[in-house]
Amino acid sequence: MFGWTGNILRVDLTQKTFRKETFSEEFAHKWVGGRGFALKTLWDELEPGIDPLGPKNKFIVALGPIAGIPAPNTGKTVVAAKSPLTGGYGDGNLGTRVTEQLRKAGYDMLIVEGAASEPTLLYIEDDKVKFLPAAEVWGKGTYATNDWIYERYGRKAGVLNIGQGGENLNLYATVRSLEGRSGGRPGMGAVMGSKKLKAIVVKGSKPIPQADPDKMKKLGAADLRTVHEMDKKSGWSIQATTGILAWCNEVAALPVRNMRKTRHSDAWKIDGERLDDARIATYGCPTCTMHCGIAIRDHEGRESELDYENIGMLGSNLEVFELDQVGSLNYLCDDYGLDTISAGGVLGFYADAIDRGHVAGDFRFGDGERAKELLRLAALREGDVGNMLADGSMRMARKIGRGSEAYAMHVKGLEVSAYNCKLCPGMALSFGTSPIGAHHKEAWVITFELNQTVRDSYGRDKAEKVIELQRIRGGLFEYIIACRFPWVEVGWELEHYPIYFNTITGLHWTLDDFWKVGDRIYALMKFFWLREMPDWSRKMDYPPMAWFDSANADTDGPIAGKVLDLEKYDGLLDHYYDLRGWDKRGIPTRRTATALGLDDEARQAEAFGRLED
Amino acid sequence: MKVTVKMIGAFVHAAGFSERTFDLALGTTTDELLEIVKIEKSRPMIVARNGQAVTPGEKLEDGDRVVVAPTFSGG
Ligand code: SF4
Repeated sequence: MFGWTGNILRVDLTQKTFRKETFSEEFAHKWVGGRGFALKTLWDELEPGIDPLGPKNKFIVALGPIAGIPAPNTGKTVVAAKSPLTGGYGDGNLGTRVTEQLRKAGYDMLIVEGAASEPTLLYIEDDKVKFLPAAEVWGKGTYATNDWIYERYGRKAGVLNIGQGGENLNLYATVRSLEGRSGGRPGMGAVMGSKKLKAIVVKGSKPIPQADPDKMKKLGAADLRTVHEMDKKSGWSIQATTGILAWCNEVAALPVRNMRKTRHSDAWKIDGERLDDARIATYGCPTCTMHCGIAIRDHEGRESELDYENIGMLGSNLEVFELDQVGSLNYLCDDYGLDTISAGGVLGFYADAIDRGHVAGDFRFGDGERAKELLRLAALREGDVGNMLADGSMRMARKIGRGSEAYAMHVKGLEVSAYNCKLCPGMALSFGTSPIGAHHKEAWVITFELNQTVRDSYGRDKAEKVIELQRIRGGLFEYIIACRFPWVEVGWELEHYPIYFNTITGLHWTLDDFWKVGDRIYALMKFFWLREMPDWSRKMDYPPMAWFDSANADTDGPIAGKVLDLEKYDGLLDHYYDLRGWDKRGIPTRRTATALGLDDEARQAEAFGRLED
Repeated sequence: MKVTVKMIGAFVHAAGFSERTFDLALGTTTDELLEIVKIEKSRPMIVARNGQAVTPGEKLEDGDRVVVAPTFSGG
């Protein structure tokens, strides 16, 4: 087998044991890697209903066949587990040297089981595995932890670590790597923390098995150069992802004031132009030639690396329009190891609930200083407020009650990313049907919707486009594992990816083969939900109710007086389910399962809920 | 008539300005405006007029705000 190392490293933190296992060619071809490997493993190995923060959950680091091999932008790793935030399957990807190092150490997947009794650093070097004490950095932020690791193991080591957020089981704690990389929004950092796993350090020295390494080397190097030139020509990385803020503000899709508003006259103060002007450094992932991380000096003089989601959720959504203060909030999230999107959603919800008199508190929109303190409380789970904020907006709303559920901006428990869909039915569908909760990475349909369709329409074309994008973004890029930005931002065609895959594996796949893998993964994620939540209903695929509330409509601007229509959204959801071959609840039918090679999984799922023919 | 043009992302550099108000002849279309601001029409872009996507050849009106952005496909 070429392309895959064929090996899994299974580590038990309770027993401090490890073993090398192999996987079959059939498994590799059916699930490819990354999200596919992680999902299938968690499906097969997790007991239904387990506590995601208990020792029975498993933390997975999964790679794909092109991961780590120099080519456009293959430096990403998937981290996955049962999510403590949503209760379903959870994952995320991040740029890290772990990608290359773990593959060179000879593994395509790391499965971490059990829980250590003391803070632990898991050290992997080829066939060696060590369980090392990490008490010295337990309680420290991710920057200090990273430095501590670099001092001991060198800067080339692959590192994943957590901050105080993960240690204290903040439910939206992420996994961190390098200077500013972060991934695993649905609480993957908390899962590491629950296992007292402070960090994973990986070094590898073996070649990655490839069918035609010489051809791949030339191809990868040439294509990295071409992508670099395409980026320079388009000028994308000048503002990188942050350019979108000004556009969202113009078209009334910016998150402002817990998404109550869609535009703000001060938005320009934190937009891509201001960010580029304030730039002091640029950061990126390994094997990338279009670095997108723009670092600025924050209010306290520290370096803070920002992207659009950060300025949208910690800036406009909180009505904090001082760029250096947004930088500070972002720095703190990164250092504590908190997801910036959820942190912005949670603080926005808290300010909104206080505003409405639904909960007592002293936080107001625009108060950047208080927001910093609240992030600290949330990361450390300090006091009642810290504990409440650390649980995410879904649980906060349940606790606060008084109708606050309607404006808790989450789907399935995961806070909505920085696109305000008050009048974007297609993008709302994308958030609604994202199987891990409201994440933009699955299907970013908003520019298609606003430019090529009637914005206020709910036609089948929108459902088709969401599925097309989910196959590419939530599918291909998450299991072959590469960053989607060369394709989405500078026009690097998708056709290159089967070429890389085939050169590395010696197979002859077309894009159609990949789409089927993506559909299989999406179907199994739904079975995962059914298994965890036998009373699953289509309402789990609804976006937040605030977007349907006419009292929430903009009073001026391009979408004045308009909001989403629930009945029509239901119609759009029907189109989506129909196109996917899922029933009216949004669960794959038996026939669909069979077509996707999921007969066994369908039989197992039926123990938890009926499947339609 | 007065029309304000807002450039986003790389178009700020291509056009040489971020936001500017132009005095245009009545009946000027969005396509003609792009020529005036020296943006190659072959470049992938999304153009919005008062927050709504424009249709080809759409005529501008006094007080309009036109936004020219790259074809982001998302974060
Ligand atoms: S484009 Fe940005 S996110 Fe993608 S690989 Fe490069 S630096 Fe990482």
